[in-house]
Amino acid sequence: MFKAKVKSEVLKGIIDVTSPLVNEVKLNINSKGISLRAVDPAHVAMIDLNINNKAFEEYKADDIELGIDMDKLSGIMRLSTAGDVISLDYDETANRLIVTIGNLVRKMSLIDTAGMPDPKMPNLNLPAKAIIKASEINRGVKASEAVSDHLAIKVNKDNFELFAEGDTDTVNLKLPKDLLVELKSDNNYKSLFSIDYFSNMIKPVKGEDNVTIHLGNDNPIKLEFDIADKKGHVKYLLAPRIESE
Amino acid sequence: MGINIGGLLKTEKITFNDLKDRVIAIDAYNVIHQFLAIIRQRDGTPLKDSEGRITSHISGLLHRTGNMIETRIRPIYIFDGKPHNLKNRTLQIRKERKIKAEKEWKDAIRKGDMEKAKSKAQQTSRITDEIANQSKELLNLLGIPFVQAPSEGEAQASYMVKKGDAYAVGSQDFDCLLIGSPILIRNLTSSNRRKLPGKKAYMKVNPELIRLDINLKQLGISHKQLVDMAILIGTDFNPGVKGLGPKKSLDLIKKVGNIENAIATIGGENAPTFEEIKEIRKIFHNPDVTKDYSLKWIKPDKDKVIEILCEEYNFTKSRIEPILEKFEKIENMMKQKTLF
Repeated sequence: MFKAKVKSEVLKGIIDVTSPLVNEVKLNINSKGISLRAVDPAHVAMIDLNINNKAFEEYKADDIELGIDMDKLSGIMRLSTAGDVISLDYDETANRLIVTIGNLVRKMSLIDTAGMPDPKMPNLNLPAKAIIKASEINRGVKASEAVSDHLAIKVNKDNFELFAEGDTDTVNLKLPKDLLVELKSDNNYKSLFSIDYFSNMIKPVKGEDNVTIHLGNDNPIKLEFDIADKKGHVKYLLAPRIESE
Repeated sequence: MGINIGGLLKTEKITFNDLKDRVIAIDAYNVIHQFLAIIRQRDGTPLKDSEGRITSHISGLLHRTGNMIETRIRPIYIFDGKPHNLKNRTLQIRKERKIKAEKEWKDAIRKGDMEKAKSKAQQTSRITDEIANQSKELLNLLGIPFVQAPSEGEAQASYMVKKGDAYAVGSQDFDCLLIGSPILIRNLTSSNRRKLPGKKAYMKVNPELIRLDINLKQLGISHKQLVDMAILIGTDFNPGVKGLGPKKSLDLIKKVGNIENAIATIGGENAPTFEEIKEIRKIFHNPDVTKDYSLKWIKPDKDKVIEILCEEYNFTKSRIEPILEKFEKIENMMKQKTLF
């Protein structure tokens, strides 16, 4: 059984962090809340999402798995406006999710979860940690998009740095420790990432919110932030690019 | 060719894009065979250079591989080695069939029946050592890795997928599932249409993905039983028991557990001896493979490819240049790592 009422913004927030990476997801639902973990088709990025039942206006659930087509759900969400409270009701016999927005009832068929993988979180050695306001990184990513398809993230004990280099132009964003919420790094760390992926992961974070970054050398990056009024938590992993030889 | 169990399997439609950044171990003989069969003129004559050498495989490999690289798929081609002794019967039958088709092709041309000519011509394709070597040389210059399997290419490809070096086997045959490849991808093409054999019509084809574990679950049998079932139906290594198709064999194996019991129950013409069963099982469960291969995609030697294709095989420079540009992406493609 799954029956819940949720504010439209909260549901939209969940879609915003998930749909840039994956089209089909398996929601693991239990009495405490909803979680999902998925890897993009190229195996380059992973999302690990947990939503506490407190993020919902009403929430009642047993242990079930729902296979959701994100494109479809996001289409349905376009029918709602901010402030709407949306009812979600799982119809087990027809394997459909009944989405009610005001007087509108939309029955959405679900995907068979049998073939959907349960990716494991890889064990990573990411010694550097920085907590930064999302708007700061966003500015750097936007600037980088104009000059290259990849960027470098560097962290040392005094600074967080974002660097992009194209054929002719470069972008450099250097944030000293006092402009950061937190910085912990015993050494110099640097990894390269595809801007496409990186920007998809940073975009959904609201400007004033904090993003926690875990970094290593030529290792994946881990980004963490809260959604749904801190009642939901997102972890992203992104595999690095390697430098040209 | 291969085992015919397609009708029983659950397939997932996918797109080329879903395979982005994945390594696909491609059964080279399987795909070259397709090129030799399909890439032909109206009367069935394959593409040839001025010296009369067949070039259908060169054209096919270049285009198909280029499309994969463009989508950032990482192909590695696996070439067959020495066939197992038990395959001789199958190979002999194929040879006879080709000789017959060759005759019918010539007859059809004489009678002016071009449609029949082409369909018969398609059945005459043969991968000579020359064709295999030319294909390897081309892949080398294009920067695409290939592996020479000690025996069956499907077995080598499956081994690499099981080991985690590749994501899936790319083949039209289902044999890799018998060898235990977790994933098979069929119709590995982006062109989205294929000519129906012997007809003028085209059908839309999508790449399809077949997962071994899901299918075993759905069929309600173990992997060992799948192999037993295949031996009942008939494989490249045995003719199969007369009167037993995929459906009947499946029911029988589910009922009695294994092939020995099945044969003891129904007897059956052409049934393999227990000794033969043991030998065929070994081909699938414990095939001869090599660990000696490299997974490296490197920048193509563009000038050399153009030189060989244009000067030796009479390709037109302006037509192959845009394809070669796709291969320039290899360098960029290799830079993005994956999480696992």
